[in-house]
Amino acid sequence: MDDIRYADRIVSADEVKIAARKAQVYYGTNHALRDVDVDILGKTVTAFIGPSGCGKSTFLRCLNRMNDTIPGCRVEGKITLDGQDIYDARVDPVQLRAKVGMVFQKPNPFPKSIYDNVAYGPRIHGLARSKAEIDEIVESALRRAALWNEAKDRLSSPGTGLSGGQQQRLCIARAIATSPEVLLMDEPCSALDPIATAQIEELIDELRAQFSVVIVTHSMQQAARVSQRTAFFHLGRLVEYGETGQIFTNPRDPRTESYISGRIG
Amino acid sequence: MTDATAPESQAPRAGTLFAPDNRPRRRNAAERRFRAYGLTAVGLSILALVVLLSSVIGNGAGAFRQTFVEIPLTLDARIVDPKGNRNIDEMKKVTTIGYGRQLEASMVAAVAAAGLKTEGISDKDIAGLLSKEAAATLRNRVLANPALVGETITFRALANGRVDGFFKGRVTMESAELDSNVTPEQLGLAQRMREAGLITLAFNPDFLLGSDASEVRPEAAGLGVAILGSAYMMIIVLVLALPIGVAASIYLEEFAPKNRWTDLIEVNIANLAAVPSIVFGILGLAIFINMMGLPQSAPIVGGLILTLMTLPTIIIATRVSLAAVPPSIRDAALGVGASRMQAVFHHVLPLALPGILTGTIIGMARALGETAPLLLIGMVAFVREYPAAPPEGFFDPASALPVQVYNFTQRADPAFVERASGAIIVLLAFLICMNAAAIILRRRFERRW
Repeated sequence: MDDIRYADRIVSADEVKIAARKAQVYYGTNHALRDVDVDILGKTVTAFIGPSGCGKSTFLRCLNRMNDTIPGCRVEGKITLDGQDIYDARVDPVQLRAKVGMVFQKPNPFPKSIYDNVAYGPRIHGLARSKAEIDEIVESALRRAALWNEAKDRLSSPGTGLSGGQQQRLCIARAIATSPEVLLMDEPCSALDPIATAQIEELIDELRAQFSVVIVTHSMQQAARVSQRTAFFHLGRLVEYGETGQIFTNPRDPRTESYISGRIG
Repeated sequence: MTDATAPESQAPRAGTLFAPDNRPRRRNAAERRFRAYGLTAVGLSILALVVLLSSVIGNGAGAFRQTFVEIPLTLDARIVDPKGNRNIDEMKKVTTIGYGRQLEASMVAAVAAAGLKTEGISDKDIAGLLSKEAAATLRNRVLANPALVGETITFRALANGRVDGFFKGRVTMESAELDSNVTPEQLGLAQRMREAGLITLAFNPDFLLGSDASEVRPEAAGLGVAILGSAYMMIIVLVLALPIGVAASIYLEEFAPKNRWTDLIEVNIANLAAVPSIVFGILGLAIFINMMGLPQSAPIVGGLILTLMTLPTIIIATRVSLAAVPPSIRDAALGVGASRMQAVFHHVLPLALPGILTGTIIGMARALGETAPLLLIGMVAFVREYPAAPPEGFFDPASALPVQVYNFTQRADPAFVERASGAIIVLLAFLICMNAAAIILRRRFERRW
């Protein structure tokens, strides 16, 4: 915690960070997501699980308006970040995405140096006034992404030259370098081997101290390992949302139980 | 060529692994046939290329070497400066006819001094070994430096096209019998002069630097104006087509909504790339010359037309290379809060740059070789004056390399065949340079992701 900016963002774990009410998503005429009500808490890892095509990634991308880039995609209902409607006409999605960072399924570092990858966000948002400040941000982001020790001697070598797991941690470092408040992760481990996956999961657990993390995953074990709260999506609906332990041990909805026990999905 | 799978029988296959049965044998034979077709096709294209290049180079290499006559020449003041006052305005009144007399006297004297036999050859025929351009060359030299009057200088002039042809094997004693422009006796004298060192074959820089010459003096025709005109047009194409094309493609690919209108635009751009170039020429004639009143034969008009022709090529190449950038890069940039424009200009465009540059250079190479539209806007005219330096020069009459080739091939004198092939060699050299530049730029900017 060498960055003063985090000091004023210590909030209680019960605080609602993102709230969705009656969220609907349409792709053209296809009603992809119906009536989703979710409260995502601060400093918590929330996992979205469900079979392929159930709408969990779609919903994740609503939270930082990445769906805006998909032609024909329409979002209705209300999604708020700290009580402010993020789909309000006055909201600039660019500003929103600086607060709600995202890590994608496939590691996608820019074909630039490791340093430039991490420094890009702070640079375009004007978070630093000098080279030294950017250096500091890059180092702290890489440290928090558990990549500093591996990358500190090769900051100027291309980010694409790292291994898959390192690339994904670089993407996490890039996302947290802009000091977001929420970190969205869309199946961050699906392209990684078990060791790299374990490292990322450990990292997610550490990141929880500073951010609210939302993770979409196909692996129920992963959801059980890293998350405090879990939401189960099925066929474009939010079926059940609650404490991870309760979802996995005592699901209220029969569909959740079928999925958890491997009968559907 | 693929064979459908036969229904599998449950019985184990008979036979041995070491002897292929019918089905793999047929498949392997089909593959061998296909490879043979491919090799034949490649071989035929290489053969065609070799034939083309060897014919062009065989015909055109001679254009770079020219026959020169070198004689000592005493400038007679009575001829070149009859008033005797070295006044440049007075001296300008002496026409090339006067200098022709001077040349004739010097040629006869030089041949006599070398002790060469001249039976049956008139003095006029001896002077006729020189190009008709020689008198003008001498006049220009004297007018540029009046102090030469009365001096003895070594004068090096182009030989007549027939004499040049004789040393290059194009003209023979037999053909000279039938030729009213040259006699076998003249050729004999030329041969003796060559042995005496008065006539030499040497590299002729004026082929690349000089301007075009008239029908009757092929030896003096050069490509300077055409090269300059082509270069001016390429500058105009690059300056206009690259930014417009790239901006249009970025807008269409990254920002424009995908609807019927953009689909229509897309289809039309693809169609534009296939429009015959002469149609662009007619369009340019109507718009740039008739409506806008731009001058005829000017590189600006040619450049604008070629820009229109090149734009679809650049737009298509740019859109393809933009679309080839993985969407994950855009997502990554947007995900850290870059605006769409930042995502495009910081990340997508640098990755697409090699493709864009290659497309641009290929489009420009095509424009460089384009002839038809230029004929329509009057660039086929006979232009002897060099265009001025840009930007004024864009509005001066000029020629262009492919049009110059066309021009040369239209002329009767067989010496122009050599000139035309020489011009093609120059054109090909330019094209090779541009393509090499495309490859180098591609290598330099290519990045992996």
